[in-house]
Amino acid sequence: MDTRIVIIAETIGAVVLPVSYELVTLARAIDPTHIEMIVLGTDSTAAAHEIAGRTGVPVTAVATSTEYTPELWKDILSRNIPVCNPDLVVIAHTACGQDFAPGLAARLGAPCITAVESFFRIDNNLTFTRAVLNGKVLMDVSTDTSRPCVLTILPGAFEAYSAIPPAPGAVEIIQSEAKPCKILPYGMSHPEEEDAIPLSEAETIVSAGRGIGKPENLELIERLAARFKRSAVGGSRPLCDLGWLPYRQQVGLTGKTVSPKLYIACGISGSPQHVAGMKNSQLIIAVNKDPHAAIFQVADFCIVADLVEFIPVLLEEQDKI
Amino acid sequence: MKILVCVKQVPDIDAPVDIDVGGQWVGPAPTFRMNRFDEYALEEALLFKETFHDVDIDAVSVGPARVQTVIRRAMELGADTGVHIEISQEGYVPPEVVAAHIQEYARDKGYDLIVCGAMSEDGMHAQVGPLLAEMLGLPSITAVIAARMQADGNRLDIEQEIEGGIRRRFELSLPAAISVQSGINHPRYPTLTNVLRAKRQPIVHLVAREIKVNSRFCFRAAPVAKQGVMITGTLREQAVEVLRILHEHAIL
Repeated sequence: MDTRIVIIAETIGAVVLPVSYELVTLARAIDPTHIEMIVLGTDSTAAAHEIAGRTGVPVTAVATSTEYTPELWKDILSRNIPVCNPDLVVIAHTACGQDFAPGLAARLGAPCITAVESFFRIDNNLTFTRAVLNGKVLMDVSTDTSRPCVLTILPGAFEAYSAIPPAPGAVEIIQSEAKPCKILPYGMSHPEEEDAIPLSEAETIVSAGRGIGKPENLELIERLAARFKRSAVGGSRPLCDLGWLPYRQQVGLTGKTVSPKLYIACGISGSPQHVAGMKNSQLIIAVNKDPHAAIFQVADFCIVADLVEFIPVLLEEQDKI
Repeated sequence: MKILVCVKQVPDIDAPVDIDVGGQWVGPAPTFRMNRFDEYALEEALLFKETFHDVDIDAVSVGPARVQTVIRRAMELGADTGVHIEISQEGYVPPEVVAAHIQEYARDKGYDLIVCGAMSEDGMHAQVGPLLAEMLGLPSITAVIAARMQADGNRLDIEQEIEGGIRRRFELSLPAAISVQSGINHPRYPTLTNVLRAKRQPIVHLVAREIKVNSRFCFRAAPVAKQGVMITGTLREQAVEVLRILHEHAIL
């Protein structure tokens, strides 16, 4: 049975975010024959040509009067998507996607499945898998196929589409007259960079999660990191929220995406948001006292232990060598 | 100004927890507590109350009788009124159902602002805030990492946190809904006055009507140690093995 898919590409200015190409990979795996894309923004035409050229998928560029607001995007998409009559609307599970997808789905009268990581078919029925309980449990969701279904896809869950298409997709440009009303956009701000060795350049990252128990135990993490050359200390979001580490040291979707030679996860549960930011590390060692912690699903080597007891022993043993 | 804060009771996911295919707890009942993201949502409302006079905060939760403990907790922290929308059965409740129940309660209450957490720690859908807003016809912004009320009390200056720590700035007209990101503030501890008040004050209680769900779902344990090697033994044996592996990979 055919599945008609509309992908909403994500851009910042004229830059197409890599996750947009990951959405193409997912869509092609479901049904490569009925894919179209919509890209919105003040610079959407340039982005549409790039996407059409790299994927061969037909792209509709909607030139908007302002930059992103959830109100504007829901307004435009809820009028343009029904024209395509899709079975699936595919959106990135980014801050932006999470912002407008649920409301858009409600406006389309469609169910919304968020943070999807994989899919499978049983008798032609599509079922989507997402993580719950910080990744310890998986949830399989399927919906009535007669209606459109809105999906948000976790960044990093699929490889970016990279095959060279035989010909670029057609690009159609639409001018949108819609104006923001209740939400006005006021630009962006970028975080300041400081650091001896930024996370992105470190060869070894020793990362801490809530499992360290108290801020004093960060000293153990720092002592361990100091044993490696070009090393840095990282942390999970909850640790930064507690104020135990500055946000610039946060690894994960809302922080830094890293791929060092060695990543040591200490007391990190392994939520999908954290894992998406570190799973491409070359070697991953995880220490956690919970044998069911989701971090063990991505680690190369797993140690079920309390890091407060384990790290001092590890340091002692290294001193002996 | 009337503010509604949506709070959820979640299992303590740092402890071992498990659920069956239908979304019911397996084994001993877990310890429950307030969803951490909702602690930030409530704190944000309390900060507005400190800055502006005449702010009333209602805290609402949907679920079985046990969720009254988080409603009580919200009152201890400073919410003026607690509202319990009771669903009798235990187990998983989809976000569209939670949003629909709160919408039914909230639609004629004239809230100026609805504050939710960015997501629940158990379901991780990140849907109730934006869905509820849509059902009520309110503008909404999620992943809010800074919110400042303008002097006239009619608009909020919002910063939304997107990937890589970048922030988008918006001006949001009230009435509206926001879903706040963790780290937006530092949630407080209860005061003795509020603890005593919360003990005496009754919780507004409503019984939810039944809502049909269109999606079918089941749960299964995530595969553990898919490719990874489990390093076992005493702490010392584990440490020696880790050092051997690091030497083998020419890292140490």
